[in-house]
Amino acid sequence: METGEKISRGLEGLEEKVFGRGLCTGCGACLSLCPYLRSWKGRVVKLDHCNLEEGRCFAYCPRTEVDLDRVYQGIFGKGYEEIEMGPFRKIMTARANDPVWRKKAQSGGVVSCLIDFALREGIIQAGILTPREGDLLPQGRIITSRKAVLRCAGSSYVAGPTLEALNRGPWKGEERIGIVGLPCQVLALARMKTSTLEKKTPIDRVDLVIGLFCTWAMDYQPFISFLQGRLNGRSIKKLNITPPPERILEVTAGGKMHRISVEEIRPFIRSSCRVCLDMTAELSDISVGTVEGKEGWNTVIARTAMGENLLRRAKNAGVIETRPLPKSNLNHLREASLLKKRRALDAVAAFNEKGEVEKTYFTLSTHLVKRILSGSLESGEATP
Amino acid sequence: MSFISQDAPGKTVLLMGNEAIARGALEAGVKVCAAYPGNPSSEIIGTLAKVAEEMGLHVEWSVNEKVALEVAAAASFAGLRGLCAMKQNGLNVASDFLLNLNLSGCRGGLVLVVADDPAGVSSSNEEDSRIFAKLGDLPLLEPANFQEAKEMTKSAFEISERLGLPVLIRSVTRVSHARGNVCLDELPRSIPKPKFETSQPLAAFPAMPHHKILHERFNRAKEMVEESAFNFYRGPEKPELMVVTSGSGWMYSLEAVINLNVQDRVGILKLGTTWPLPESLVLNHLKKADRILFIEEVDPFLENNVKEVYAQNCLAVGPKAFFGKASGDIPGIGELNPEIVTQAIQNLIQVPYQPRPADYAMAAHEASAQLVPARALGFCPGCPHRATYWAVKVALALDGRDGVVLGDIGCYSLGLGPSGFGQMKTLHAMGSGIGLACGLGQLNRFGLEQPVIAVCGDSTFYHAAMPALANAHYNGANFLLLLLDNNATAMTGFQPHPGTGSTATGKEAPVIDLKALCEVFGARVEVVDPFDVAATVEILLRLLQKETGVKVLILKRECALVSAKHQKRLFRVEVEQDRCLGETCGCNRLCTRVFKCPGLMWDRASGKARIDEAICTGCGVCSEICPASAIRKEKA
Repeated sequence: METGEKISRGLEGLEEKVFGRGLCTGCGACLSLCPYLRSWKGRVVKLDHCNLEEGRCFAYCPRTEVDLDRVYQGIFGKGYEEIEMGPFRKIMTARANDPVWRKKAQSGGVVSCLIDFALREGIIQAGILTPREGDLLPQGRIITSRKAVLRCAGSSYVAGPTLEALNRGPWKGEERIGIVGLPCQVLALARMKTSTLEKKTPIDRVDLVIGLFCTWAMDYQPFISFLQGRLNGRSIKKLNITPPPERILEVTAGGKMHRISVEEIRPFIRSSCRVCLDMTAELSDISVGTVEGKEGWNTVIARTAMGENLLRRAKNAGVIETRPLPKSNLNHLREASLLKKRRALDAVAAFNEKGEVEKTYFTLSTHLVKRILSGSLESGEATP
Repeated sequence: MSFISQDAPGKTVLLMGNEAIARGALEAGVKVCAAYPGNPSSEIIGTLAKVAEEMGLHVEWSVNEKVALEVAAAASFAGLRGLCAMKQNGLNVASDFLLNLNLSGCRGGLVLVVADDPAGVSSSNEEDSRIFAKLGDLPLLEPANFQEAKEMTKSAFEISERLGLPVLIRSVTRVSHARGNVCLDELPRSIPKPKFETSQPLAAFPAMPHHKILHERFNRAKEMVEESAFNFYRGPEKPELMVVTSGSGWMYSLEAVINLNVQDRVGILKLGTTWPLPESLVLNHLKKADRILFIEEVDPFLENNVKEVYAQNCLAVGPKAFFGKASGDIPGIGELNPEIVTQAIQNLIQVPYQPRPADYAMAAHEASAQLVPARALGFCPGCPHRATYWAVKVALALDGRDGVVLGDIGCYSLGLGPSGFGQMKTLHAMGSGIGLACGLGQLNRFGLEQPVIAVCGDSTFYHAAMPALANAHYNGANFLLLLLDNNATAMTGFQPHPGTGSTATGKEAPVIDLKALCEVFGARVEVVDPFDVAATVEILLRLLQKETGVKVLILKRECALVSAKHQKRLFRVEVEQDRCLGETCGCNRLCTRVFKCPGLMWDRASGKARIDEAICTGCGVCSEICPASAIRKEKA
């Protein structure tokens, strides 16, 4: 702005800063807001030129001018200071008691069964989930029944435009909504909630956000062509990546388990994942991931009163079983989360010609950047 | 009775140049007339078609110019008089036959009228067709006004019969499309009976003896043109400057000389027979002046040919200074006008003249802009091509492989510009889109990853695309042909073609089914209504992603202008003002800023879109693209 040149905070800016730099996460936050953007096979496609200087596409994107302090302030009432894995109230391991969830879902099935529980309890009237179908094509779907939740259980490791379903509807107008999303999607939701632009979407009725741990996601088109080549076009029943040090992609298809080294699929990781600071979906009510060395269980982080409350009610109702997270696991999680931030900062520095990390798609104070890079634990001490 | 066929010798009527040519052909007793439509030639056959029955003629819109010339030539072979008309591009198509016909010769009078389009106002190119006369050693006449247009046409039939050669007439837009007084002559009464003289074959082969005969005929033509009344000189005996001109240049030169009041200083040699040149006449006039200025439209045809005659005789004629396109005194492109000619003459003879201010054109443009709303060159309201290109735009963007759309000749050539969302990437000759697709569609073996699409209209398909489609299947090209079937040769004035079910004279004709035809050529064919935008996008995406072979998608929807003549509008369309998002985030005027159908208006005061009910055709496509569902359509 110092040069007096107009900077677009609309589609032109999005095209230059996000699509042009390969930073689109494919989250879907910009879709179904206007006629200019559409999703096709996991890619966000610009159909026409829009010359608005300011638009929701830019404002909601998790890769455009994210003032992290402001967003965290808006969601948690405090800035981006808990640098390891974001603000939280409780951390534990948990699993669904009903084996129906554990069977189809990843690890402990906590995500699916919490959404089902929230629906049954009337906490939400609709969920937005990503169905896990044979062609893996990710898309958001509004679900209102247990059967539909079950169809969405399990991970596809593919980034997709889940949030489009929120913008598109159809909505009756009264539903309270729960959304399950990846860290980029959770960040986009937080940007939607804290945006000052006229919303025209039901974001203010999103009462529950469950975030999934994520280290990276696949770009749909190259990944699916790779898998189809390997599986001769057979429909995929389940995907699973085994924890380190093995790191194998297990694909269940055609009644058989195919084992593929993660190294082989690395080239299909979306480039936007390399600059992502967030492994544990910090802006959620509840974040859920795997537990290293403990199959069939989830790591669960309650971050807001809403999240904590839901977990308590689910536990009291016998829907989930919880246990403390072992100290070693917690330390490992903090290290892994911080490591992702450091790698992202390195990637961003390499990305920016001037090597600046403070002014990239996010803004972060020099002080916080230093803390992340030095790994100092002077605040945000984890208490399980 | 039509005004063109009135039997009123001596009567003066106001005729368009093309009508004068048609009348000349009637006065010459023409029996067979054929053409493929193309501006600025289309009214010649259009006019004759209207009087075909009454005058006992066969008049047809042929599928292309080569066939049209063959149809007219066949009449000549059987002893009747035949007329063929086309635009400059058409002669390129017909030239293969023409450059054999010159060797075989013909019998009944055969006249080929070519109307050139200087500046390419309604053409893909700017081309001077006169070079074909030189190429084929064929006589060429250039009418300079409306009376001459009629007289020359009549005379051309006579010359053709005397020489046994087809005769070319070259018109230009300002002769063909302007109107002037024409004095009528008698219409002939005799009805000759056709007979093909089988004892005397007509063939170009063997070439050399026929080439020799052609040269003999050409030499006779040279003698004939020396006496032609279409060539004359106006001016002083010893002018300071001699203007040599032909066709539309005559009127411009005359106006310039009168405007400058230099009738006593500048002479004008007006030539009507520009190939072969009346060499003696030309040399005699060159002797009168030392400075020669050539005024003619498009190429320096006259200029170069006169210089050629001069070079052969320069010792006898003495030194001359030539001015024209070669010297830069006359622009080498675009149409001429009196102002250009006036300034060229004034520059050469230094006469006081107040030239038009340099910024006159701009000022006139700005003044007229105050009177009319700004309007871009674009498709009509409700044009199916707009819907087609919209679907193509969406499908190619989603497909994401930077697909290439190879264009062709028709209204849909506007696909190059904003009205077609800039989707078309090439534009050449009739049928060239699909021909280019035959080539581009072979390049995936070298790593071309872009999908290839050709667009082609229905009339263009019958004209020149069928051989390319056969080629595509035979040689295994990969592309998608979009056949934009609007059931008309719309751009040139809705002339019928083999798919429309009627002939040039309005008689019922068998319909040659495009889908069946394409299937015969081995293509997988689907048909969709482009007004169903969502379905069209879906089919396009599916066909684009099929890897191999020739796929044809017929986008079937009648031209909106044709529909308006025989059916009421499909829908009543309205913009719900409360729902219209206008310029706000979520729309930003998609309908009036991007889709741009002229039937949609932007109301600045309310910041909302509206329907212009006077011109909306009710196609309802805009209601499909409105993101807020604010555009409502109801069955009309």
